[in-house]
Amino acid sequence: MKEILNMMIVLALICGISGVTLAVLKQTTAPIIEEQELTYVQAPAIDQVLETHDNNPIKDRKRFDVDGRSVMVFPAMSGGRVTGVAFETSGKGYGGNIGVMVGFDLKSDTLTGIGITTLKETPGLGMRVTEHGYTTQFKGHPIEAVALTRNGGDIQAVAGATISSTGTVFAVQQAIAIYKTLKTQLAGGWS
Amino acid sequence: MSRLWKEFSKGLWTELPPFRLVLGLCPTLAVTKTADNGLGMGLAVVFVLALSNLMISLLRKIIPAKVRIACFIVVAASLVVAVELLMQAYAYPLYQQLGIFVPLIVVNCIILGRAEAFASKNGPLLSMADGAGMGLGFTMSLTFLGGLRELLGSGAIFGVHVAWEGFQPLGLMVEAPGAFISLGVLLALMVFVQNLQRKRRGLALVEAPGHDCKSCGCCGKADNA
Repeated sequence: MKEILNMMIVLALICGISGVTLAVLKQTTAPIIEEQELTYVQAPAIDQVLETHDNNPIKDRKRFDVDGRSVMVFPAMSGGRVTGVAFETSGKGYGGNIGVMVGFDLKSDTLTGIGITTLKETPGLGMRVTEHGYTTQFKGHPIEAVALTRNGGDIQAVAGATISSTGTVFAVQQAIAIYKTLKTQLAGGWS
Repeated sequence: MSRLWKEFSKGLWTELPPFRLVLGLCPTLAVTKTADNGLGMGLAVVFVLALSNLMISLLRKIIPAKVRIACFIVVAASLVVAVELLMQAYAYPLYQQLGIFVPLIVVNCIILGRAEAFASKNGPLLSMADGAGMGLGFTMSLTFLGGLRELLGSGAIFGVHVAWEGFQPLGLMVEAPGAFISLGVLLALMVFVQNLQRKRRGLALVEAPGHDCKSCGCCGKADNA
């Protein structure tokens, strides 16, 4: 009996101490890890979709509330004024969600480009939505009527990858809807 | 002092973990695509191994014998999670590269092996020396294997291109089979060198595996063997 009790106490103590230590460590590293993830996962896409800027979009990121959802917005500024914004939305793909970073130009209300952040599509087919020919179609596109050609729009789907293309376009449409709701707040959001 | 050095240095050659003890082969085979990855994985193991040996050695008198394995695992797992968090916070690209293999350090046989065979029977200082030595030996082996595979498979070492013009990279070497082939050839070479040394000193050669065919029996001829 005494032996069993001893075993229980020692094991419980070791587990408890480990747990507390790890919880503290997790809490202290959480903000640094978030920053690192943004730098290495989102930053390449952000750089791709924002036009010339003289700030650090990741450092200046800000959360906005849209219909109860919180959206992380990355601003492009030059001379202290916001000229464009980028944020991430997602659409259903063939192998899980497709994350799309969408950039907007505030002055002309056009898309400055899209960049794919997360993607698990079929290699050689769905994966091709990251390719230059497909994504460049969005660059400079007005924010109205973004749709695939078969739905009456002017975006050419990637051949053989209708689902992936539809998912990407859906994400862009979502982003446009958010952009329209937020537009009035965005321009003055960082001053 | 000499005892300390002895425990530290045995991991560097005479008991070199992946090649001599043939322990911890999962990471050895999986992450040695490049010298960089091998080094990163190795350093993570040095950290975990030295600290887990230290802690287990400190706790060895209060850990009841019947639950010692569970205690060892908890200590090793906590250290591994700590390494994972720190790596994410301060070396994110390395974390992206090593990915799934960092959590797998927990089940790396070396950690549990050293805890059971050494740290639970020796004092904290010796145990730390043992862990650091074993870890460094592991790092050396992984870096060497990674460098070899990277050199043959992509003509570079640590990401720096070193091969001559017209070098045809052997793609196989950076894939899984390349790991098995290079590990096997290295093991054979090490035994060969060892045998040369022993011959010069007039000692008997390294023993071949003692068991006969019967333990396998795959060919169906076990009875004739």
